[in-house]
Amino acid sequence: MLRAENLTKRYRQGSVTVTALEGFSYEFPPGPTAVVGPSGSGKTTLLNLLAGFDLPTEGAVELGGARLDRLGEDERAGVRLEQAGFVFQSWNLLPTLTALENVAFPLLLAGVRPAERRDRALALLDQVGLADRAHHRPNQLSGGEQQRVAIARALALEPAVLFADEPTGNLDSAAGHRVLDLLLEHAVGERRLVLVTHDLEIAARAERVLHLRDGRLVKIEEPAAV
Amino acid sequence: MELVLLVGRNLTARFTRSLFTWLGIAVATASMVLFLSFGEGLRQALVSEMGNFGPQIRVVAEGTDVFSPPQPELPPEMLEQIRAMAPELGIRKIIPSVMLVRGGFDPATSFFFHGLPEGADPRDFYPPAKAAAGRLDPHPDGAVVGAKKAELSKLTLGKPLRLSREVTVPVVGILEPASGLVDSLIFVPLKTLQQVLGTKNYGVFMILLDPDAKVEEVAQKLEAAIPGIDAQSTNEALKFAERSLRIGDLIRFGISLVALVVGGLLVANTVMMSVYERTREFGVMRAIGARRRFIFGLVLSEALFLALAGGLAGVLAGVLGSAAINAYTREAVGLALSAVTPRLALFSMAVALVLGLVAGLLPARGASRIPVTEALGRI
Ligand SMILES: Nc1ncnc2c1ncn2[C@@H]1O[C@H](COP(=O)(O)OP(=O)(O)OP(=O)(O)O)[C@@H](O)[C@H]1O
Ligand SMILES: [Mg+2]
Repeated sequence: MLRAENLTKRYRQGSVTVTALEGFSYEFPPGPTAVVGPSGSGKTTLLNLLAGFDLPTEGAVELGGARLDRLGEDERAGVRLEQAGFVFQSWNLLPTLTALENVAFPLLLAGVRPAERRDRALALLDQVGLADRAHHRPNQLSGGEQQRVAIARALALEPAVLFADEPTGNLDSAAGHRVLDLLLEHAVGERRLVLVTHDLEIAARAERVLHLRDGRLVKIEEPAAV
Repeated sequence: MELVLLVGRNLTARFTRSLFTWLGIAVATASMVLFLSFGEGLRQALVSEMGNFGPQIRVVAEGTDVFSPPQPELPPEMLEQIRAMAPELGIRKIIPSVMLVRGGFDPATSFFFHGLPEGADPRDFYPPAKAAAGRLDPHPDGAVVGAKKAELSKLTLGKPLRLSREVTVPVVGILEPASGLVDSLIFVPLKTLQQVLGTKNYGVFMILLDPDAKVEEVAQKLEAAIPGIDAQSTNEALKFAERSLRIGDLIRFGISLVALVVGGLLVANTVMMSVYERTREFGVMRAIGARRRFIFGLVLSEALFLALAGGLAGVLAGVLGSAAINAYTREAVGLALSAVTPRLALFSMAVALVLGLVAGLLPARGASRIPVTEALGRI
């Protein structure tokens, strides 16, 4: 369950108030949903609120049965650990840890035993085709490989919702599509994917596309249905 | 366990910086250990010295402190007064004496002369004393030299020892090593030393008691009967010395605090820099689901680990340094002046850890409170 009700975020900067997002209401159905819009339209702001990184100025967010807008910092972190996975545009991985340790990190937070952690992390790396890179550091991996490790990590605890903010932004189109394939592959059944992008071609591969403009939800497309 | 891995990874990723910080704490801790080791060494030397000290009571002029040689301020009448009280108080023997310290910083040219009256010999001060060469008694006009002193100043039997321009005495005896202060003393006849000092007075009366006499009681009775004297029992002197040592400890700790504060600032700086550089990492951890406590613990562990490793190395360096100092002072004055006792090692470790804790708390708090969105930065 991922639902937003009248979600609004305003930033006060001195005497100026910037409304980054206003009155966003939507219940995300299972499957992949893309969020598109020009730069500054509020895409990242929306994702920050849906994931509980930040609290809304107004409105409600429900993720996996928890009202994020009513929870404290650490409680939201707990909900994220259980319910959500993340892939950002870049700088996803912990640079001092190997690929394997990065993937195992959420398992560590969840209290999984070391031996099991290792096995599961290896299996996940295998799923994204990087089993042979398990002991590489992030700086020894290509951008596309780093994103795939990030996906493996995001999937570690089998989250109900996968959030991705411009995951293909730094990649060429071949690597980008490979990353996208992996994300879409996991947005099946009851699982959801929220994919923020400004690339309409990529957005077109989602089941729904939400268009943001100046912080408002202006259009909902369903390309697959068309 | 996992924390150890993360902490280790981060510290090794910034190896040079961690190394220098570690060294800084090690040096700070080592300097504290060395400073304080003198207090401990003196304490140990004092206890063993006093344990081997023959006389139970030492009578000096009022106001004389334990550490400086007493001036000849006690007139001969006082000696008679005490002699008169002796049978009643259970005093077995009274050894009037004067002392003369000559020379400077170099132990080879420093001389501690101790005047002995007729009928007394070094065994009255240090019962196990034995002559390695010659005899124990300096009378009528010789000098009996402690083992260390003889070795340092190259004194052998028959060599002349000059007490003043007019007075010179030959070495008539050399003592066996006793690993104590007695090793550095030179015993000469009391009359000779009084002549050198130009006085008929005494600096100190050493008093030996019958086995069943009560030391403190005798000391009190002496003080009550003879105005202007201090009658210190050996125990009392120990207690007094312990008090001065404690003051010395405080001063030494105060001095080493400077090094410690610098060490603490080093840790704080290292940890703060690494927190600043890893803001984004902490953001990623929090995004994935790490609670603030996790980040706090991570950063604090880093500081504590640095402090622990630095503290251990510092204590170890302190032990080595203390051994080096002792090798020298044993050579020079026949005493081990420095000691790294278990309690000193523990105390130093505790100080290093508290240092790490204090230095780590603020950066750790800061790191755990960065808002997630800010830590992740604008993407
Ligand atoms: N912390 C902040 N303080 C002030 N204003 C902010 C803050 N974060 C976002 N904004 C403003 O809110 C608006 C929406 O920003 P947001 O990052 O959500 O846009 P975006 O759609 O993700 O853009 P992009 O495609 O460039 O990433 C922008 O006008 C931005 O300047
Ligand atoms: Mg954005």
